[in-house]
Amino acid sequence: MSAFVTFRHVKKIYKTGEMEIEALRDVSFEIEQGEFCVIVGASGAGKTTILNILGGMDTLSEGEVWLDGEEISAYKKRQLTAYRRYDVGFVFQFYNLVPNLTAKENVELAAQICRDPLDAAEVLTQVGLGERMKNFPAQLSGGEQQRVAIARALAKNPKLLLCDEPTGALDYNTGKQVLALLQDTCRKNGMTVVVITHNSALAAMADRIITVKSGMIEQMRKNDHIVDISEIEW
Amino acid sequence: MKKKMLRRTTLREIRGSFGRFFAILAIIALGVGFFSGVRITTPAMVETVNDFWQEKQLFDYRLVSTLGWEEQDVESFRALTDVRYAEGSHTMDILCNDKDKNEFVLKSHTIPEHLNLLELTEGRMPQAADECIMDAGMPGSLHVGDTVYVADENEKDTLEALRFREFRIVGAAHSALYANFERGTTSLGNGSVSGYLYLSEDAYDLDYYTEIWIRFNHDYPIYSDEYKHMMQVHDVGWGELTQEIADERYTRVRADALEELDEAKQKLADARADGEEELADAQQELSDGKRKLDDAKKELDDAKKELDDAKKELDDANAELHKAKKELSDGKKQIADAKAELDNAKAQLDASSAQIAEGEAALVNGQAQLDAARQELEANAAALRQQENALAQQEQQVNASMAMYDMLPPEQKAQLDAAQQQIRDGRAQIEAGKAQIEAGRTELDQQQSVLDAKRTELEQGKAEFEKGSREYTDGLAKYEQSLIDYDEGWQKYRNGRTEYNDGLRKYNEGLEKYNDGKAEYDKAEQEYLDGLAKYEDGKAEFDEKIADAEEEIADAEEKIDDIDHPDTYVLDRGTNISYACFESDSEIVAQVARVFPVFFILVAALVCMTTMSRMVEEQRTQIGVLKALGYSEADIMGKFMFYSGAAAVLGCVIGYAVGIVLFPSVIWMSYELMYIPLPLHIIIDWKLAGLAIAASLLCSLGTTWLSCRIELAETAAGLMRPKAPKAGKRVLLEYVPFLWNRLKFLHKVSIRNIFRYKGRFFMMVLGIGGCTALLLTGLGLRDSVAGFADVQYGDIQIADASMLFRSSMGGVIPEKLRSKMDELTDDYILLHEASWDLVTADKTKGMDLIVPLEGSLDNYMVLRTLDGEPLAVPGSGEALVSNSIAERYGAVEGTTITLRNEDMQEIRVTVTGVFENHVYNYIILSPDTFADQLGEVPQLNGAYLNFPEGQDEYQIQAELAKDRNVTSVSLFSEVKARMAKMMSSLDYIVLLVIFCAAGLAFIVLYNLTNINITERIREIATIKVLGFFRNETSAYVLRENLALTAIGTILGLGLGVLLHRFVMAQIIVDLVSFRVRVLPMSFAVSIVLTFVFNFIVNLFMGIKLDRINMAESLKSVD
Repeated sequence: MSAFVTFRHVKKIYKTGEMEIEALRDVSFEIEQGEFCVIVGASGAGKTTILNILGGMDTLSEGEVWLDGEEISAYKKRQLTAYRRYDVGFVFQFYNLVPNLTAKENVELAAQICRDPLDAAEVLTQVGLGERMKNFPAQLSGGEQQRVAIARALAKNPKLLLCDEPTGALDYNTGKQVLALLQDTCRKNGMTVVVITHNSALAAMADRIITVKSGMIEQMRKNDHIVDISEIEW
Repeated sequence: MKKKMLRRTTLREIRGSFGRFFAILAIIALGVGFFSGVRITTPAMVETVNDFWQEKQLFDYRLVSTLGWEEQDVESFRALTDVRYAEGSHTMDILCNDKDKNEFVLKSHTIPEHLNLLELTEGRMPQAADECIMDAGMPGSLHVGDTVYVADENEKDTLEALRFREFRIVGAAHSALYANFERGTTSLGNGSVSGYLYLSEDAYDLDYYTEIWIRFNHDYPIYSDEYKHMMQVHDVGWGELTQEIADERYTRVRADALEELDEAKQKLADARADGEEELADAQQELSDGKRKLDDAKKELDDAKKELDDAKKELDDANAELHKAKKELSDGKKQIADAKAELDNAKAQLDASSAQIAEGEAALVNGQAQLDAARQELEANAAALRQQENALAQQEQQVNASMAMYDMLPPEQKAQLDAAQQQIRDGRAQIEAGKAQIEAGRTELDQQQSVLDAKRTELEQGKAEFEKGSREYTDGLAKYEQSLIDYDEGWQKYRNGRTEYNDGLRKYNEGLEKYNDGKAEYDKAEQEYLDGLAKYEDGKAEFDEKIADAEEEIADAEEKIDDIDHPDTYVLDRGTNISYACFESDSEIVAQVARVFPVFFILVAALVCMTTMSRMVEEQRTQIGVLKALGYSEADIMGKFMFYSGAAAVLGCVIGYAVGIVLFPSVIWMSYELMYIPLPLHIIIDWKLAGLAIAASLLCSLGTTWLSCRIELAETAAGLMRPKAPKAGKRVLLEYVPFLWNRLKFLHKVSIRNIFRYKGRFFMMVLGIGGCTALLLTGLGLRDSVAGFADVQYGDIQIADASMLFRSSMGGVIPEKLRSKMDELTDDYILLHEASWDLVTADKTKGMDLIVPLEGSLDNYMVLRTLDGEPLAVPGSGEALVSNSIAERYGAVEGTTITLRNEDMQEIRVTVTGVFENHVYNYIILSPDTFADQLGEVPQLNGAYLNFPEGQDEYQIQAELAKDRNVTSVSLFSEVKARMAKMMSSLDYIVLLVIFCAAGLAFIVLYNLTNINITERIREIATIKVLGFFRNETSAYVLRENLALTAIGTILGLGLGVLLHRFVMAQIIVDLVSFRVRVLPMSFAVSIVLTFVFNFIVNLFMGIKLDRINMAESLKSVD
């Protein structure tokens, strides 16, 4: 059990009424600590399901999921909540900031429930929003909002940072900036970062690339030629 | 056809968001239910009672004439074209007893035929004249099958007006005349009527009716304008008409009476003449008899005298005869005596002859003896002289020897001495013998003389004997003669005796004859005396009868003069207590109906508004798509309109159906305690239904339209873009860092959220505030209503009991009762209590007068203003009135009021104070007022009592009530309990209000929280993803609810106090004035309940929050 994250024969079936949809058929992969991992796949391939399961937002039907020596898949609901609370940071496609809270407050919202949070203001400065701390999300641009979201995730000082299409709602340049921030975080803080995207171009910047297709892992490989984000074009 | 898909999506929408649909439906149902329920209650109640009165044909007029009415008058009224029924009846107050001698006053009526009919609840209608129907609503001791007794204490008129003194109760009924529990007052007994009694016409012995009941030919509903108008039309002519008919009766009655009087006078004159003649005849007969008697009497007297004379003679003769007989007897005795004497004398003579012979012999013998004795003695004397001679020789010898004596020897000497001595002794012997002889000689001499005396005596006896013998011979001759005389006398006596006996027999015969005659006379005399007495009696009777008749005629004449022109009264339904009371009582609900619905509709509109605008907002994209597809705005709006319209119509139908049944039923339940129980008529008022539908549609469609309009104004493209989330905003509080910085982070978030949506905030606060206000009003209603009894009997009427005395006691407590009261109670105050009417310009209203006769009321009734200021005891011409009187009849301080009793006595007093009082309308007066204005001190007839601490009240009550001068003893604690029980009916209404409040709170809270959650679903999902635990997530969202509930509650409390005050102002119950108050407990309960509702809603919402799928919610903006 050397790997930081381990998926072993994970199967996920959604039931809606009579219908059964097999989102994940048999997924197994591993991610090492401190890696920047990109999971690529087309829409409906099952990458978000993987993220949901890894992030403790969803349960699995079969198989095992391990993180840092703990079996997530065996967790009860409350344990899952605690797991989300203390071990995982999320960055969403649509930022999911609380509109009624300022940038700093959004970060604090996450930080104040953690055991060992980082200072909200510091983190925000770190992501380059030292000046916008008191703005409400509506007063920020998309990239800024996503940076607030990243700051929120980082402030929790999680073991794992999960990002679901973090650039999906952003324009090209802003997207790049955000990815750069994520990559920086991984490199500087040794944070394990998992990014989900349909954009395979991004795979080039990852330490590890996992390709998902129709609920199966098509390919998992270590990237030997890591390219800096600024050099990637799509 | 072409918009089929649109319709389908709408129906799916309903199914998909049933919670929202249901929220609109429920709030509309609640609003409509409350609105129509409360609205319909008064009409439903009025119609229920109206149907009853219609069926029973309640009167329109009650005609009263001081002269009464006759069947002929009734006919006159009945003949009028617009009169449906006219019926005469008797009404009187009767003092009655039950079998246990409990006394109460019942109002008796005649069993009606056509109007004011009875509703039999038990038993049957009377068949015999001594059967009756009792008051079905009368509490207490009478039951069907019992007998009710007419008390002897009733007035003569009352007793004479009834054919029977006992009536058997064969049935119980409700009367149309008494729809509520009030039975009115009376001048009898304790002044209050306990119930009514229906007797058949035959039970009354009266030739006139007390009143005539009139029912016009109409079926207008009670209290309706048509009815009022019809009555106004009638009012114009009926006063005069009634007076006319009464006047006719007056003329008729007077004429009849005068005719009767003349007849009576004639009769009297005839009777007088006949009687006088008869008397004269009798007198003549009597005097004849008297004369005859006198003659007879004289004859008898003569005879009697003769007899007496004869008797006297006879008696004399008898006396003589007796004398003669005695003399004869004496003579016979004398003769016998003389014979005895003679015989005796003969015997004596014979004896003395023998004595004489004996004496002679003795005498001879004695002489012989004596002679012998003398010879002897002489012999002895001769012997003695010899001896003396012998001795004298011897002495001479001795004397001789003596001369030689000295010379003699001693022996001779001694012989000489002895001889000397012998001589001396002999001498002495001779001397003694000589004396003896001398004595013997004397004795012999003596004997000789005795013997001589005897000889003389004997000689004398001889002579006497000779004389006696001669006398005896003479007596004997006399005796012989007297014997002959005696025989002659005896013969004479015998002849006299025979003569006497003849005379006696004759006398006795005469006496017998006389006695017979005397008896005959006595008999005749008795007969005469009897006749005389009879005559005297007859004469007296005759005189008396004539005098009576004359007096009667005089009375009748006077009476005829006294027949006043009759006063008439045309009394309409307004004078019937239950009719008047029901109008005002039923209005209470109508009053309340005016406030609540507005409130509910306002909340419903707000709920619709928020819900629909949220829905429209949610469906922005869809609207955009539809718009882009080319559907018209109307079509798109139609979808929402249909959605909200369907909810509104459904809600309206449900609300209306439930409301019009539930509300009137519950409220009627509480009224049934005061009115006779009638099955409630549920009325379906289509106009009201239309109004409800219109209001709810306006509410839902209007708000939908408002919400849609804004969205639809946007372009399709704009709509398809997600709406920018509502920007965060700082709240005012943030500018007060001192406070803001102290708040916990999450609390700050909540505060900001609270003020994020103003509309929702107000709706929430209004809904919750409304809920609290309703709760407070409902509970306060109960506090005020239940509390009045507490205050009345805890703070105001602080005495333990009140006691009423029998009027027959005459206002003076007998010593026995007084000592009993002293013993059993701590203290007491004596009162005069009475029911008087307060006369105001337009009506009269019964009031209870309390007149303390001695001492202070302080220990029994606390007189204080509503502000708690103590009030001074009223003086003459002054009055203290209870606050209800002041409020309802304007008898405020300084006004002068007029009071009138049953006997039309009036007093006028100035109100000097208004005291707090919640039960009954009390007026406190001074006895001086009566003394000054009526010239009489009010009679003692009641008392307030205080019992010793810790004693059994019931025992004391029973002990006191036993006394025959005590009518009743009522414990205030019991009255209080009864009042409280009566008012407990309000609990239903309170429950209903609480129910509605809960409904309101649930719907508002649920709906808003629901909207809140759906709207913020992403936010919630986010915090869940951030790792908020279940309770933290709930708290994050629901803390706002809590805060809003708190704000709403505070607002609601204020609102509730106002609402409560308003509602209380509308509730006017006769005889009771409520204490407008809300207890702290009710505040607490209202707050707690509101929070409990909030908690329950939060519980449900917690589940909903749980179900939010983080993964799904986060995917995209939808």
